[in-house]
Amino acid sequence: MRKIWHIGITDLKLIVKDKMFFFWSLLFPMIFIYIFGSLFTAGRTDTKSALMVLNKDKGQWGAYLIEKIDAPGIELKKVDAIPKDYIRFVIIPENFSQNIEAFKSQSITLMQKSDSNLKAGRMAETKIMQSIIKLITEMIIKGEKDIKTFFDKKPEFRSMVEIKTRFPDKTITKIPSGFDHTIPGILVQFIMIMVLVSGGIIVMEDRKRGILSRVLFSSASYLELLGGKFFGRLLMGLLQSLILIIVGMIMFHLNLGNFLYSFLNILIFSACMACLSIFIGSVLNSEEVIVGVAILTGNIFAALGGSWWPMEVVPDTFKIVGMISPSYWAMKTFHQVIFFKEGFSEILINFVVLSVFFLVFMFLAVRYFKIRD
Amino acid sequence: MEKKILEIKNLTKTYGELTALNSFSLSLEKGEILGLLGPNGAGKTTMISILSGIVKDFSGTVTFKNENLFSNRELKNYMGIVPQDMAFYEDLNAMENLMFWGGLYNLPNSTLKKRAAQLLELVELGTRAKEPIKNFSGGMKRRLNIAIGLIHNPELLLLDEPTVGIDVQAKVNILDIIKNVGEQGTAVIFTTHQLAEVEQICSRIVIMDKGTLLAQGTMDELIRIVGGKEMVDVEGEFSANHFSEIIKNQNHQGIEILSVSDNLANLAFDNTDLIPSMMEQLFKNQIVVSDLKIKSPNLEAVFLKLTGRSLRD
Repeated sequence: MRKIWHIGITDLKLIVKDKMFFFWSLLFPMIFIYIFGSLFTAGRTDTKSALMVLNKDKGQWGAYLIEKIDAPGIELKKVDAIPKDYIRFVIIPENFSQNIEAFKSQSITLMQKSDSNLKAGRMAETKIMQSIIKLITEMIIKGEKDIKTFFDKKPEFRSMVEIKTRFPDKTITKIPSGFDHTIPGILVQFIMIMVLVSGGIIVMEDRKRGILSRVLFSSASYLELLGGKFFGRLLMGLLQSLILIIVGMIMFHLNLGNFLYSFLNILIFSACMACLSIFIGSVLNSEEVIVGVAILTGNIFAALGGSWWPMEVVPDTFKIVGMISPSYWAMKTFHQVIFFKEGFSEILINFVVLSVFFLVFMFLAVRYFKIRD
Repeated sequence: MEKKILEIKNLTKTYGELTALNSFSLSLEKGEILGLLGPNGAGKTTMISILSGIVKDFSGTVTFKNENLFSNRELKNYMGIVPQDMAFYEDLNAMENLMFWGGLYNLPNSTLKKRAAQLLELVELGTRAKEPIKNFSGGMKRRLNIAIGLIHNPELLLLDEPTVGIDVQAKVNILDIIKNVGEQGTAVIFTTHQLAEVEQICSRIVIMDKGTLLAQGTMDELIRIVGGKEMVDVEGEFSANHFSEIIKNQNHQGIEILSVSDNLANLAFDNTDLIPSMMEQLFKNQIVVSDLKIKSPNLEAVFLKLTGRSLRD
């Protein structure tokens, strides 16, 4: 075990000593994160919910509704006509008070610009819904000021109306930002590129320079050598992840959901890439070819696997094609853990599929690992 | 105390039709520096590769410290190898390389650091320990390659052509280091095709060609193979066949053709008095001789005598 650690740590040291390491592992992925993160975050940055209100009602309930909507966090502005430039506005129709007192159905229209801030929009929607409920409640208690007084006076209604609120299953309880998708996506892409490029080149060079043979001449065994090479590449994947997660948390308030599940996901995916890098380093013979193959594979799998955009937005054919990529299963796990707060039983299938990829890549690594040309 | 450290018996290795080693036997004592001399393709590297465990599927036995070398991995802790390749990490500095290679031998870190520092002094890289190896000259890299082979203080050191591709001064340094290692009690097997190198540092020399051991012994023992003859190299404008014919037809007693090719012949003379009569025959047969060198018997002559060809062929 000591020799496996020793060989693995030395490989990691070789990567970190490279002058370009921080460019490839930090700056370059950051460019991707910034571009894709910005694309998937609403263009406007109105964190306080701007809301214009056009009240066409002349009765008391329209004004009451506006009074209830106007709350901290809502930047309310009353207007007399439909505005040309707006972020979101709500229209209370004519004869609103008259109609609801007659128990007629009423529609309240809320309009939002498509590029408006998602979080602020949700806040406005929630506030409008709360206000409608308050209005309905007020109508029920008919001037009794508050619902407790009403129920005290009319206990027969207590059992008739029961209001329970809860989030439906899989409701997104914390609204993820574009970066919550992009950072795991770029992390998956760069684990792949980083481990395949750096790990593959070192295996190839070690073979060509006679370093692998020389290691075997020591008392280290073949298994210790192979284990050390695997361990070094696993560490490379984990280091790449650590860098992006720390930066993501500091700069973009990255939300990883259940940390243990996310860590397991990164661990299995890195293990897959560690084996694949030993394989390509064993069968390819030049740095240029390894870089080309790794970048091409990394980018194709990133696109197919949903690293750049959520798989929910791609056609079904691409979803099926994407399944051939380990990136797809890693990203699926991240989505389920970060966005839908799913448990271990729901993500287990993803781990099983990733483990199958790991076994296939491990077979290739062991079968083709060459000590010398 | 048992002095013999290594015994190779009937080592044979074939690659398809080609026999790289043919029933090769050899033994080595502690502190002995053995020069394995042979041209390219003689089987020197194959033998080193077998001893280092890289080449498998061979027949014969190798006993190291009274045990089968290949049945006990721990024996490798007592052997060091210096391959022909610069097999180390150019992105690490000399000290880091020694720490990596030494770490494979389960040496405690403190011992390893001390040993690495000593070795860097020995190979005259003490002041360059923390410099990137990329900046090293060929000779410095060769010296580091040797230091790596010695990091775990082995009892047997195998060096595969350690002086290839370096300048004369660097060669001298490396030969001094090897000599020093031998003097400290480490047995050394040193392959080369440079006659001067084995003459300079080896206590025993093995001459091999085409996978076969042709002769072995000390320098004096080997030279006795060519007897008290004088070596004469003849250069001129002639074909190999024509030259051989003239010498044979004249039935010169006391002249032996060691090797002959177009424009160059290596001859062994019982007596240099025979040279004028040979020259006369050559002129009569319209052969122009441009150069004639008389040399004392040396390893090259031994090699020519044994193989019929020069080491440089």
